[in-house]
Amino acid sequence: MSDFIFNYIPVFDLFLLHLGFAFSQYIALRSGVFSLATAAFAGIGAYTAGILSVKLGLPSPVGIAAGVVLGTAAALFLSLPLSKLRGVYQAIATVAFVQIVVSLNIYLEGLTGGAMGLNGIPHTVGTPVLFVAAAGVAYMMWAINRTRLGRTFDVIREDEAVAVSLGVPMARYQTLGFALSGGIAGLFGGLEAHHTYALEPNQFGFTFLIAILSYVVLGGRSSVLGPIVGTAVLIALPEIARPLDENRVLVYGLLLILVINFLPRGIADTAIDRLRLRRVARSGSAPAKAGKAVET
Amino acid sequence: MTELVLENVGKTFGGVVASENVNIRVPAGRITGLIGPNGAGKTTIVNMITGMLALSSGRITFGDTDLTTMMPHRIAEAGLARTFQNIRLLKDASILENVMIGFHMAERSTLLSALFRLPGAAKETRDTRAAAMALLDRFGMTHLRDHPAGSLSYGHQRRVEMMRALAADPQLLLLDEPVAGMNEAESAELARIFRELTDEGRAILLIEHDMRFVTDLCHHVYVLDGGKVISEGRPADVLADPVVVTAYLGESIDAA
Repeated sequence: MSDFIFNYIPVFDLFLLHLGFAFSQYIALRSGVFSLATAAFAGIGAYTAGILSVKLGLPSPVGIAAGVVLGTAAALFLSLPLSKLRGVYQAIATVAFVQIVVSLNIYLEGLTGGAMGLNGIPHTVGTPVLFVAAAGVAYMMWAINRTRLGRTFDVIREDEAVAVSLGVPMARYQTLGFALSGGIAGLFGGLEAHHTYALEPNQFGFTFLIAILSYVVLGGRSSVLGPIVGTAVLIALPEIARPLDENRVLVYGLLLILVINFLPRGIADTAIDRLRLRRVARSGSAPAKAGKAVET
Repeated sequence: MTELVLENVGKTFGGVVASENVNIRVPAGRITGLIGPNGAGKTTIVNMITGMLALSSGRITFGDTDLTTMMPHRIAEAGLARTFQNIRLLKDASILENVMIGFHMAERSTLLSALFRLPGAAKETRDTRAAAMALLDRFGMTHLRDHPAGSLSYGHQRRVEMMRALAADPQLLLLDEPVAGMNEAESAELARIFRELTDEGRAILLIEHDMRFVTDLCHHVYVLDGGKVISEGRPADVLADPVVVTAYLGESIDAA
């Protein structure tokens, strides 16, 4: 039994790390920013923590905190040009940003170790730290959803014209969502650096970006459960069926196509909606008109 | 009393004139009508008042506040709320949630209070829910509170939009075709609510096609055609104005 648990601790760690990245992607989408920059912020956080630790010998909490600060700062900086763009153009701009960060990590050899990667990072982060961090971020997301912030993010994402007509300063909220996305990715980037000994520039590239996006699209973009379910499913899947592991990216791609077509709101949000509809139906308050959407 | 005033407002898109020299006053405690055929420029006027479109000329003031170059969310803060002609609700969210969104400006919670004083922030959400329930009650929709907005009839969806706009406790309410798709009984019920709202001292600007509704309800009517105000005055006088009859109502006057 203990063997069984031991075997799965690395998978659980991977889940917790990627859950953090999924929350970073989630909060950006939740605030209506079509950002794919989580990979870049994660790279910034990871390399910041790694470099401060390996080159300057600073303690890992300092490096991780610096990763959070730099991830947030990068997001704040990027939010300026991004606020002038909408939808798919934001996606393109942020993918370009991801590539810029990857390139910098390759070409700034003296600092980052270049294509050879950054090695010898002290392993100071274990399962408990990852768990506390993931739980803390989950609490943050949950708390946001319990207050007007969650409702405001919802209306911004669904309809900008309605949002401003209700007095919502959209730019401020989107900057907040995006800065949180940068800070959270920076945090988990730093945690990943101290969890894995070595960093490699392409680790935070396009494949990573697709994986993170898949978690949120599969799980759901509205409820906090969305990223948790999505990450759990996609991390567990290759473990259950080993052959899938070799074709991980292919499987993610197929799942994305299937989910977008058949469950556009993701697993968790669809399930929550179904439950709610059933409760409404059972409460017997259904009027004759409801359900038949159009009257005229 | 705060009054919305449009002075010589004009809008051109390239060479196309969408509004020209429009002068409109919307006083508090009154229902003012804005009517005109499709393409007359009604929506352009609404979009300029709410800040969604920049003016090409003229100015718009609300009491002492100059709205002419204000950001849309600032205009909302100044006390203007609106509904949309093509209903814009969060279709998957419940009626109650849709109305709660309208309370944005009344609420104070921030990220920090959500994280570190969640009980207080959560209490604010409960207060907002109670206030939203009071609005639902006023509009007779309490029993529908948990239904997804998208599942309701047009008439009900329009009412949800109105509740959401009222949640902001506006001094001026811009209603873009509020009774479209409603039956007689439903629009009579809304007319009663509109009168209550103006009795409370609010101003209403009603953009409408339904002639009878306008005649019954409005104190003052502006008729727009080709981007210009071609007639204004008491509804009965305006509808009798030959300019209006030919330009707007044409042959369909007996249908009205």
